[in-house]
Amino acid sequence: MSDTSLVTLRGITKSFGPVQSLRGVDLTLAPGEVLGLVGDNGAGKSTLMKVLAGAIQHDSGQITVDGRDVRFASPADARRERIGIVYQDLALCDTLDVASNLFLGREPRKGPFIDRRAMHAKAAETLSELHVRVKSTYQEIGRLSGGQRQAVAIARAVSFQPRVLILDEPTAALAVAEVRQVLKMIRDVASQGVGVILITHRLQDLFEVCDRITVMHEGRSVEDEPISALDIERLVAMITRSGNGSDTKEVA
Amino acid sequence: MSVEAVPAPTVLAETPGWWERSNKATLAMAGVTVVLFLCFGIAAPNFLTFGNISNLATQVAITLIVAVAMTFVITTGQIDLSVGSTVAFVATLTAEMLRAGWDSSLVIIAALLAGLLWGAVNGWLSAYQKIPPFIVTLATMSVIRGLAQLWTKGFSVPIDRRLYVARIGAAKFLGFSALAWIALAAVVLGAVMLSTMRFGNYVNGIGSQEESVRRAGVNTDRIKMITLMLAGLAAGVAGLLTAARLGSGSANSGQGFELTVIAAVVLGGTNLFGGRGTMVGTIIGAVITGVIANGLTLLGVSPFLTPIVTGLVLLAAIWINLRGRTIADLFAHLTRRP
Repeated sequence: MSDTSLVTLRGITKSFGPVQSLRGVDLTLAPGEVLGLVGDNGAGKSTLMKVLAGAIQHDSGQITVDGRDVRFASPADARRERIGIVYQDLALCDTLDVASNLFLGREPRKGPFIDRRAMHAKAAETLSELHVRVKSTYQEIGRLSGGQRQAVAIARAVSFQPRVLILDEPTAALAVAEVRQVLKMIRDVASQGVGVILITHRLQDLFEVCDRITVMHEGRSVEDEPISALDIERLVAMITRSGNGSDTKEVA
Repeated sequence: MSVEAVPAPTVLAETPGWWERSNKATLAMAGVTVVLFLCFGIAAPNFLTFGNISNLATQVAITLIVAVAMTFVITTGQIDLSVGSTVAFVATLTAEMLRAGWDSSLVIIAALLAGLLWGAVNGWLSAYQKIPPFIVTLATMSVIRGLAQLWTKGFSVPIDRRLYVARIGAAKFLGFSALAWIALAAVVLGAVMLSTMRFGNYVNGIGSQEESVRRAGVNTDRIKMITLMLAGLAAGVAGLLTAARLGSGSANSGQGFELTVIAAVVLGGTNLFGGRGTMVGTIIGAVITGVIANGLTLLGVSPFLTPIVTGLVLLAAIWINLRGRTIADLFAHLTRRP
């Protein structure tokens, strides 16, 4: 598996002042694979994904994409490697309209000016393809519902045609039908060869779409199992670290 | 299970109505402007003459030039308190260089560069060194004026009326002063940058959620630094024009100018907390501050009453600005179509 790896993280560490958030994380992702990243709150999942997306810079450790060592100084660097991410906080701007948010940082231009007509037309097309329900691309993001905002954030990440798609709690604000839509989208992009990393607290979703689960605990990656070897009780035990994962008797 | 009942795509790239797009605080202030013009027009018969309107445009021009740049600064959620001091510094520099015999064209370039330099100092300290711009510009406000005072020892430096720079201050085209035309150019340039270019989008986005813009791969520190450099450059232009118009450069010019400029921007409906900038509003705000001073003078009230009335009107206008959004929501609710 390691020779076909799309992304490999080795020994990633990150400290914020005296707080060591990541204490050496290993993670691999293959093309077309859906990896579930789980762990308790504060385990370092979101921090690790921000490192992989270039939003924060790690202290030590190695990131390899397609066998090449890379180091991301900014989110733009990660985007160039076609790593797309839906942040937990969505990273939208409330006072900008839907199309401006969708194309933030890559607005289509005509000379020095933003080509607004093209931008809104493309935005409407992209959102319609992903079945996002928004009245108009001119609506301000701040006036949308939580579910609509999340859908726009997901549409933005997907519209980059990433090779690696990171989804940090993508379904937290979604209704049942919208969750099904997102899970279907995950399967679709994975079948096109995109590597997907999914962080979620909805364990049933993991069993539905994931191929493999990596468990983080207190800034370290502690377990890595194919989903076929797991059932929900064992997974819960691995996350809560009750017992030793393999020979657990008590389940939270 | 994988076959979903797909709802018909309902996302439209449809332009919303004029009312939905407009900034309600700006609309309220446009109303106030009309009322002010009517009141002064009735009370002072020479208020609505071409001569006075042209005069008003000249009075508003210098405030407006800096207010355009300040709109960008405030829209990113920053503030620049040092523009008044930069005006004084550049006015002094202009007069001193001319007295030393420098050519006018070189003096103009030096004046603009000096403004830009002070803007860059503010920008670098706040955007890259992460010191809040309020603190940075409060400090540079004192430093910049202090340098000018140290240089001139507080004396006003006269400018020879025959020099090219001095003639800019008196020049007129089509009945309006050169100052008014320069302000118009600044407004058009600012409006184009704010509403049609990526820069304007990022300025609004940074004021709304800076981290989101940064994560979209935009160098937000650079954008914030550029806005403060624009404010410095505009203050440089204002300093040059102040010296040209008064025929002298003084380290004591532009006292309280930053407050007039900030008031003009906020009066116009640009959100003091960032995220929503309006160039049309800034014109309206600058005109309101100018009209009050001009109208009261024409009415012949005691000159000592002017700052009192100006202060009270500004207070009321900002109060409406902050409340504007909820009043507008109520109005939209009442006039909502089914």
